[in-house]
Amino acid sequence: MAETASAPARAPEGATEPVLRVEGLVRRYGDLTAVGDVSFTIAPGETYGLLGPNGAGKTTTISMVAGLLPADAGTVTLAGEPMGPRHPAARRHLGLVPQELAIYPDLTARENLRYFGRLQRLRGDQLRRRVDEVLELIGLADRANDATKEFSGGMKRRLNIGIGLLHQPLLLVLDEPTVGVDPQSRHAILESVAALSGEGMSVLYTTHYMEEAERLCDRVGIIDGGTLQAEGTRDELVRLTGGVDHVRVSGEGDLTTTAAALRELPAVQQVDADRQGLSLTVRDAPTAIAAIVTTATGAGMTLRDVEVSRPDLESVFLHLTGRALRD
Amino acid sequence: MTWTDLRQRVRDRSVLVFAIVVPLALMTVFNFVFADLEQPTPGPVTVAAAAPEGDPLAAVLVDTLRGLEESAAVPVTVETAEAEAVPEAVESGEVDLGLVVPEGFGAAVRAGEPVSVEAIEGEDAGIGGQVVMAVVHASLERFAAGTVAATAGAQAGLSPGELAAVAEEAATGGPQHTLVAGEAADEQLGPSASMVAGQAGLFLLFTVSFGVLGLVAERKQGTMARLRSMPMNPALIVLAKAMVSLVLGIVATTVLLTAGSLLFGVDFGSPVAVAAVIVAAVVATTSLMLVVARVARSEEQAGIASSILALVLGISGGAFFPVSGPGLLGQLMDLNPVAAFTRGLGITAGGGGVADLGAPLLVLAGFAVVMVLVARLVPDREETV
Ligand SMILES: Nc1ncnc2c1ncn2[C@@H]1O[C@H](COP(=O)(O)OP(=O)(O)O)[C@@H](O)[C@H]1O
Ligand SMILES: [Mg+2]
Repeated sequence: MAETASAPARAPEGATEPVLRVEGLVRRYGDLTAVGDVSFTIAPGETYGLLGPNGAGKTTTISMVAGLLPADAGTVTLAGEPMGPRHPAARRHLGLVPQELAIYPDLTARENLRYFGRLQRLRGDQLRRRVDEVLELIGLADRANDATKEFSGGMKRRLNIGIGLLHQPLLLVLDEPTVGVDPQSRHAILESVAALSGEGMSVLYTTHYMEEAERLCDRVGIIDGGTLQAEGTRDELVRLTGGVDHVRVSGEGDLTTTAAALRELPAVQQVDADRQGLSLTVRDAPTAIAAIVTTATGAGMTLRDVEVSRPDLESVFLHLTGRALRD
Repeated sequence: MTWTDLRQRVRDRSVLVFAIVVPLALMTVFNFVFADLEQPTPGPVTVAAAAPEGDPLAAVLVDTLRGLEESAAVPVTVETAEAEAVPEAVESGEVDLGLVVPEGFGAAVRAGEPVSVEAIEGEDAGIGGQVVMAVVHASLERFAAGTVAATAGAQAGLSPGELAAVAEEAATGGPQHTLVAGEAADEQLGPSASMVAGQAGLFLLFTVSFGVLGLVAERKQGTMARLRSMPMNPALIVLAKAMVSLVLGIVATTVLLTAGSLLFGVDFGSPVAVAAVIVAAVVATTSLMLVVARVARSEEQAGIASSILALVLGISGGAFFPVSGPGLLGQLMDLNPVAAFTRGLGITAGGGGVADLGAPLLVLAGFAVVMVLVARLVPDREETV
């Protein structure tokens, strides 16, 4: 093997095969369909986000992906192998980071890592090396021999993620890892996920924070009521809303004349006037903004403020479901 | 997995407290409190007996008492006296017990007529006095049963063996209750031994709960989801916890029985046979806790359920005082693993080997099998991330 131990896990030869393939997953709880027919794939090195509000079915989906929960229908294939409660072997490709802390308080950080490392079939030198590497990576090398019950919340979180990385899985699965975390730890978590993805690990990341999905994920699946409403890159998703930006021009002057002048600009689709100023619907606002400002001042308007808002995943969710992401 | 778990349990200390310290402390307390009741040592008794001349049956009665002189149970000295002198001898404290067999005693017994033997008990007669009284009663019953007529007035008293049994029974305060109506004396444990065995059996239930109920803790800690995501059969998780229970149970019970026998001078017999009983009991109790782990929804529930089970099985298994039940209830109680454990130790203490342990080992093994089946019937709890 030419690869060093610290090199990230790589997909098998012929890397166009997705690392994870989820097809037609269904899970019911009595009359409630928690997950209804969810399908998606994750390519090697890709970070895929499941974005949806509480109760959307994210945890249920991820539990089936991780082989914990039996599916009522559908299949999960990880690195070409069938995955599920009855297929333990495929789980070696998966690193799971549960939302709740999953560490032993009475054991030290190193003991926690060694314990789960052994269960991941790491042995001897390899185990020792990986434990040291991960301790370094999560910044706990100097606290390695302290019982984890003495750790701060952020340190526990980092260890929680570190355990999922020990065996260099092909796919790292994180379920809302930043919920209830202070801003500093949250930043650290997002940084480390981005770094892992940069090293070529595939990541499945669930969240109900649209900023996290926008910042981390190559592709995002928007999930609500147990089904995927839409899927794609951020830009692809934004295009679903019509791909228009909003520009707010505040100031004094002859607003009616100014509005008429602005309507002549090719990028401007719509202009509404009110007492304080004008609201515009614009295609590609960053490019058009100079022309808008020139035209408005040319029409005799005194500008007080210009505000550009571009659609984000929040507006995509609103567009798709008619509801805000966080009710 | 088992090893790391054991390390956590031991680091936790509470297992040491519950498995060894508390039961040893209780054994000591019980042994101290019940010491007097448990080991009655009858003092020497002097009896003044008056029997009518020429009445062979009356002579047999007095001879029977003399027989006690040779028996080790009670040191009895029997003096022959005149009927009139007996009450005075007792009152003055010269003798502890007076016995006056009336004139015509033998004839009345033969004719099946009621006749009373006058017994005068001194203030200091004590347990030894009770032993003598018990022997007199037993002899009178024997006479009344007509044995005398059949044997034509020959040596119709109690045989030395019977004598010893009656004396022993009286000395230990009535018939020994055992958990199981022992077919042979070798299924009985002495008071100290049954206390040590019973306490060990009771706390075994607490001890094994530390291993298997770890399953419930893993669910609460969130580590169960992580364990389930590891590349291994989920059944191994349960198996590892069961191993923790087995190790803890075997170590704790061995320590308890050893310490108990050293402290209270009890001998449980062949180490191999005792080991067989311990292992079987640990397996049975562990399997019971598996059921608790499956059914309980929270750590609190599991803790309460296992404590209740431990106390119910412990008490009905004779951990605090001898218990027996009539008929069906008694048979049900025989299926109690703590009772089977104590019974097994009774057999080994009586000199029995592994081959003599059939019944208790069968009960314990059957119990384990049933519990494992029950645990499998309870649907497995599903884990989500
Ligand atoms: N064990 C369960 N029993 C019954 N309903 C459940 C169970 N787990 C989840 N649900 C329901 O399934 C739906 C999806 O839940 P979940 O996957 O946890 O959502 P999310 O992780 O997106 O917040 C919710 O309506 C939830 O109440
Ligand atoms: Mg969730």
